[in-house]
Amino acid sequence: MMNDWIKITIDGHETMVRQDTTILKAATDLGIEIPTLCHHPVLEPYGACRLCTVEVLQKGRSRLVTSCNYPIRNEIEVQTASEQVLRGRKMIIELLWARCPEARVLETLARSYGITKPRFEPREGELCYLCGLCVRMCNEIVGAKAISLIQRGVEREVGTPFYQFSEACIACGACEFICPTGAIKVTDVTDKEPRPLLLDFDMGLRGRGNIYIPFPQAVPNVPVIDREHCLHFQADACGVCQAVCPPGAIDYEQEDEFVDVEVGAVIVATGFDPFDATHKPEFGYGRYPNVISGLEFERLASASGPTQGKIRINGSEPKEIVFVHCVGSRDKLEGAEYCSRICCMYTAKQAHLAHDKIEGAKITVFYMDVRAFGKGFEEFYDRVRAEGITYRRGNPSEIYKRADKLIVRAEDTLLGRTVEVPADLVVLATGVQPREDSAQVATMLGLEMSEDGFFAEAHPELRPVDTQRQGVYLAGTCQSPKDIPDTVAQAKAAAARAIVELSRVKRELQTTAKQGEGRG
Amino acid sequence: MLETATLEQILERHERDPANIIAILQDIQTEVNWLPEEDLRYVCAELEIPPSKMMALATFYRAFSLKPRGKHIVQACLGTACHVRGAVRILGAIERDLGIEGGQTDEDLQWTLETVGCLGACALGPIVVVDGEYHGQMTSAKATRVLQRIKKAEGNGSGA
Amino acid sequence: MNQERISSPEGLALLRQQLQSRRTADKPCITVCSGTGCQAYGCQAVTAAFREELEKRDLSDQVDILTTGCHGFCERGPVVVLQPQGIFYERMKLKDVAEVVEETIAKGEVIDRLLYQDPRTGEKIVHERDVPFYKLQQREILSMNGMIDPTSIEDYIAVDGYSALVKALHEMTPDEIVDAIKQSGLRGRGGAGFPTGRKWEGCRRAEGEIKYVICNADEGDPGAYMDRSVMEGNPHSVIEGMIIAAYAIGGHRRHGLEGYIYVRNEYPLAVKNAGLALETARSYGLLGEDIAGSGFNFDIQIRRGGGAFVCGESSALMQSLQGNVGEPQAKYVRSVEKGLWNQPTTLNNVETLANVPLIIRRGWEWYAGIGTEGSKGTKIFSLVGKINNTGLVEVPMGVTLREIIFDIGGGIPDSKEFKAVQTGGPSGGCLPENMLDLPVDFDELAKVGSMMGSGGMIVMDEGTCMVDIARYFLDFLKEESCGKCVPCREGIARSLEILNRICQGKGRPEDIDLLEELSETVQGFSLCALGQTAPNPVLSTLKYFRHEYEAHIFEERCPAGVCKALIEYWIDPELCTGCGACTRVCPQEAITGEKKTPHTVTRSECIKCGACYDVCRFEAITIRSAGVKAAPAVEAVEAP
Repeated sequence: MMNDWIKITIDGHETMVRQDTTILKAATDLGIEIPTLCHHPVLEPYGACRLCTVEVLQKGRSRLVTSCNYPIRNEIEVQTASEQVLRGRKMIIELLWARCPEARVLETLARSYGITKPRFEPREGELCYLCGLCVRMCNEIVGAKAISLIQRGVEREVGTPFYQFSEACIACGACEFICPTGAIKVTDVTDKEPRPLLLDFDMGLRGRGNIYIPFPQAVPNVPVIDREHCLHFQADACGVCQAVCPPGAIDYEQEDEFVDVEVGAVIVATGFDPFDATHKPEFGYGRYPNVISGLEFERLASASGPTQGKIRINGSEPKEIVFVHCVGSRDKLEGAEYCSRICCMYTAKQAHLAHDKIEGAKITVFYMDVRAFGKGFEEFYDRVRAEGITYRRGNPSEIYKRADKLIVRAEDTLLGRTVEVPADLVVLATGVQPREDSAQVATMLGLEMSEDGFFAEAHPELRPVDTQRQGVYLAGTCQSPKDIPDTVAQAKAAAARAIVELSRVKRELQTTAKQGEGRG
Repeated sequence: MLETATLEQILERHERDPANIIAILQDIQTEVNWLPEEDLRYVCAELEIPPSKMMALATFYRAFSLKPRGKHIVQACLGTACHVRGAVRILGAIERDLGIEGGQTDEDLQWTLETVGCLGACALGPIVVVDGEYHGQMTSAKATRVLQRIKKAEGNGSGA
Repeated sequence: MNQERISSPEGLALLRQQLQSRRTADKPCITVCSGTGCQAYGCQAVTAAFREELEKRDLSDQVDILTTGCHGFCERGPVVVLQPQGIFYERMKLKDVAEVVEETIAKGEVIDRLLYQDPRTGEKIVHERDVPFYKLQQREILSMNGMIDPTSIEDYIAVDGYSALVKALHEMTPDEIVDAIKQSGLRGRGGAGFPTGRKWEGCRRAEGEIKYVICNADEGDPGAYMDRSVMEGNPHSVIEGMIIAAYAIGGHRRHGLEGYIYVRNEYPLAVKNAGLALETARSYGLLGEDIAGSGFNFDIQIRRGGGAFVCGESSALMQSLQGNVGEPQAKYVRSVEKGLWNQPTTLNNVETLANVPLIIRRGWEWYAGIGTEGSKGTKIFSLVGKINNTGLVEVPMGVTLREIIFDIGGGIPDSKEFKAVQTGGPSGGCLPENMLDLPVDFDELAKVGSMMGSGGMIVMDEGTCMVDIARYFLDFLKEESCGKCVPCREGIARSLEILNRICQGKGRPEDIDLLEELSETVQGFSLCALGQTAPNPVLSTLKYFRHEYEAHIFEERCPAGVCKALIEYWIDPELCTGCGACTRVCPQEAITGEKKTPHTVTRSECIKCGACYDVCRFEAITIRSAGVKAAPAVEAVEAP
C-alpha cells in the first residue's frame, strides 16, 4: 500500500529515504547536523532530551517533533533550525546547563548557542542530566539490568536497587564508558572489582581489554576477543563491542579452526622461551618490583611500550641501575650450560639506552666475561664503556632491600673483594631456553633433540639446517640460541633447502605422471 | 517480611504475571502498609523481574512506600478545590500538631502525613482523611481536634 | 443468585419486563445518595437508620430503600429523595430520620426544614426536579445515577440498560457502529477531545493479533470527579460502552480482543462497584463468551493505578498496564495501530464510554442534535471551589460559563466577587469575568487559552490570588512530572522557582518575560500532554491577570491577601469581643489581650498560620496585604 521510498526535504535538500527512517538518520546522511544528548546509534531512541526537535511541515501544518524517533512515513518538509526550533533548543540547553554547571559537554554546547550564563540558579555538583544512556546501555546492550532511573520528576536519578550495590552488575564499565559527563562510576554501582587483564606483549606491564590487538605489528593487525574473560562468551551478557562497532566487524560466531595442509616441506621455527628469573630466588625477581627481566626493560624502553619509552619504575625514574649478566645462561644448576649468545649485547644496548634516557644515571653491569663476537659488536661494547658505564666482573650472589634501595651484593673477581652496589632498578639479563613444548613438537615431527633441549640438526657443520627427517628443516632459536642476524641467515638457508626438496618432489611426480600416461 | 505463604497467595492471585506487578505491590502494601525490601526481592526472584526495575516501579508510583509508614495515615487533600478553600492552612496545622511534614512519618511510626492531589470529593473541601475516614469542611482547629481524639484514645489504650 | 444467561434480544426484553413489573410506580421509595461525597457526610448511617426506623414501624415491605450513586449535588449531602413524589431533602441528619418516616412517608407531609432553599430567592423547593441546580441541567448520563443501585445489574437493565449492546450486536455491523459514533460527533471526554468515531475507525482498520479496549478511569485532575461518580454510580453504562467499542473495532474478525479498566486506586468504591458489575454482567451472559447469544466474545479486567497523575496520559497508562513505570512514549505511531503490547488499542475515557450506549439506543441523530457545531452531546462538569452549589453538573455543550456558575451553581458564597474560573484541570487556564458569556465547548475554550480537559471547573473569588493559583498548579505538575523529558522536568521546576519567588515578594522585573519564554519551550518541546499543557495556568493568568503579577513584583503586594510573605494578620478592635478563641489556638502565643477587650497580634511572633483567622466567629481577624513597598505598616514593629 505504501511506497517503500519516500521523498522528503530537509532544510531545502531533497532526498529519498526508506519508510520509517528517522529524521535524524536522514539528516545525518545528508550531512546536516542536529544536536542530541540522549541519542546513541546503538540504543533505542529515547526522545528525552528534546534537543533534536525539528519542525515538520506537512499539508500546510507545522509541528515540532523529535527527529531521533520520528519515523518518516509521508512526504514531509523538515526544518532543522527554524527560529522556533533554535529558541527552544537554546532554552533546553540553558535549563540543562543550570542543572549541571560543571558538565563540559553542556558548557560547550551552551557557548555555541551564545549562552554565556544560565539565568537559573545553578545546581552545584550535579553532573547527571538524566540522558539515560547508562541505564539503556546496561539494559539493552549489556543485559545486566543493574541500574535504572528511579524516583520521578525533579527527584529522578540513576540508581541501584534499594540504594545498595547492585548484585546484577557485572562491573563491565559500559555505563561509565558511555556517560558523557563522568557522572556515573562503576564503583557507584558495584563493589566488585574489575580484575585487570595484562598485555602479554608488554610483559604484563600494561593492562588490556577483553578485546585487544595483541601487539602493534600483529598480523593480521586486528583486535581479538579473549574468550576466557569475555562476558559475552562466559555469561552471555554484554555485547557492547558489537553494538558500538560502526562497521559491524564484531562476529561472535567466529571459531578457532584446525586446518589440514598437504605440504612438501616443513620449516620448524618455533623459537624459544625466555628464562624464568624466579628460578633464581637470590635475585629477588617477582619479590621486588624493581627487579625486572631484560625483556621487561625492553618494553619499558620502547616508544610503543607501556610508558611510551620513558623508563619508570612505580612511576619514578631510577637513577642507579644495575644490569646482571648470565641469568639462566652458563648455569649448570639451571640445566643451561650453554651461552645464550644474545644477553651480552642486549645488555650493552640497554645500558646505553638507560644512559641515554636518564640524565646522570649511574649504571653498573655485572658480568662473567663479555662475548662481543659479531660484526661491530666489540666496537659497540667499547663505546658503551666509554660512556661511563661501569662493567664489574663477577656474578652477584644476592640482591636484597635496604631502606628504599636494592643492594646488589657481588664478588668483584678483578678486585678480589665483595662489593655492594645500591640500585633503584636491577635488570636481569635473562637467557634463552628451549620451548616448554619442544619435546612434544619433536615427537610430532620425528625430530631429535640435543642435550641442551634444543632441536638437533642433522650435522653441526655439513647439514646445519637439516634434521634427521627428510623434508623438515630448522631455523632460528629452536635449534640453538642465536641473535637476529644469525637467525635470518639460518632461515634463508632453511628456505633454500626446502626449495631444493620441493623441486625434487615435483620432478618425481612429473616423471610418475608421464609414466602413467605412457601406460594408458 | 510477610509470610512466604501470604506472598505466594498474592502472586497466585495475579497469575504470577510480571505485567501485574503494580497490583502485586498494592496487595503487599495493603498487608504490611509498606514495601519491605525482602518481600520485593522475593517477588523479583519469583517473577524474574530485575531488582533495578522493581526499584524504579516502587519509587515512581506515589502509592508505594519503601519505608515503614505510621500506624495512622493522614491524607491532606491539596486538590484545587481544597486549595482555594485554604487547604494549605490546614496542612500547616496538621504538620505543627504531628511535628512532621507532608510525606513524612514520625520516628515512633505512629503517624504518616501524606498530601494528595485530589480525592475527588471536592464538595467537602478542604478534606482530611484519617485512616480512611473522610473529614470534610475542615478548619485548622477541627483538624487538630480530630488528631487529638485519636491520640487520646491511643494514650488510654497504651496506658492500660 | 443463579439466573439464566441472556442469549437473545428477546431474552433481555423479557427480563426487563419482569423486572419492571415487579416495581410498582407508586410504591414509596427512599433514595439515599451514596456517592463518596455523601458517604463522607455519613449517608451510610442515615440509610441504616431508615432501615431500622422502617422495621420498627413494620413498614419494611411497603417502603423500598435505594442506595444510589452520586446525584451530583454534593454540596447538600447527604441527599435523600423520596419517591414517587420526588421530594428532595438535603443535609439529612440521623435525628431527622424518624421524623421523615413519621411525617413524610406515613403522612405525606413535607418537612420544611429539610428542604433546599434557593439562596437567591429564598424560596423553599420541594421537588428535586424543581431545584434550579437540577432543573437547568440536561442530565442524560447522571440522571441514571439517581435511579439505580450501582451494585444491582437488574436496576440497570430495568432502565433500558444493555439494550444498546443487544441492538449493536444483533442488529448492527461493526462498521455501522463506527459510522454512528462518527456521525454523532462524540469527542473524547478525557481532555483532548479527539473524535471517538475516528479513533475507533483507525483501530478497526489496524492489523494486529489482538486488539485492546481500555477504559481510562485514572481521573487525576484535581477538582474533577465526574468519572468517579459514573464509575461508582453506574458502572454498567461504562461496561456496556466498552463492549460496544470492542465489537466496533474487532467484531467479525479473527484476532483476539481484551478489555481493561484502569482505575485510580484512590477510588476504592469505583474499584469495588466496577468489579461487582463485571461479575454480574458475566453471569448474565452480557460479558465474556458469546455475549447475549451473538457469538461475540469479549472480557474486561480491572487494573488499579499506582498513584501517578501522568498515567492518565494514554501512552503512560499503557506502560503502566504492562507493569512498567508510567513514562509517556513518543506517539508518532498512533496507539490505535501500536498501543498496549504494540497491538492496536483504543483507549476511551469513562464519560465517553458512558455516552456510547445512549447514542446507539437513541440514535446518532438525537445525539448530534445536542450541543454546538464542533462539540456534540452533553458534558459533565464538576463545579467546585468558591461556589454555592458544589457538585456535578451535566449540560449540553455550548452553555455559557455564566449559566453554569451563576444559574446552576448559584454564584459565589458569602457575597464575594467572582474573579476567575479555572477549567481543564492543571493543564487548563483561568478565565476572567469578561469571558463568562463564552459558550463552553472544546474549541471555544481552546481559543481563549484554556481547555475542556476532563471537565473540572474551579470557581475562584476575590480572595484567590492568581499568582498563587499558577504556583499551585505548577507545584502539582512538578510533583507529577515523570521526569523523563527535559522541558517538562526542568522547565516546570524552574517556572515554579520563579513563581515561588514572586509569591515571596522577591520577584524580579524580568521574571514575567522569563516565565513566558520558559512556557513557550515547555509547551512546544515537551514529550507528552502533561508538559505541553503545563504552562497553561501560567500563560492564562499572565494573560488575564498580569496586574496581579505586577503587584507582587513591583509593589511586593498580594492583592488577594493570600501569599503568606506579603500579608499580615490584624485584629480589628472594633469587631474583637475579646472572647479569647484566637489566643487558645495560636501556636506561637502571638495574640495577647485582656478578656473581653480587643486583642492584638504581635507581628514578630506571628507565623501566619491562619489558625486564628479560621477560629474567629466575629470576623475580627483580617488579612491585610499592606504591601511592604507601597504602604509601610501602620503599627510599630516590635523590637526583636
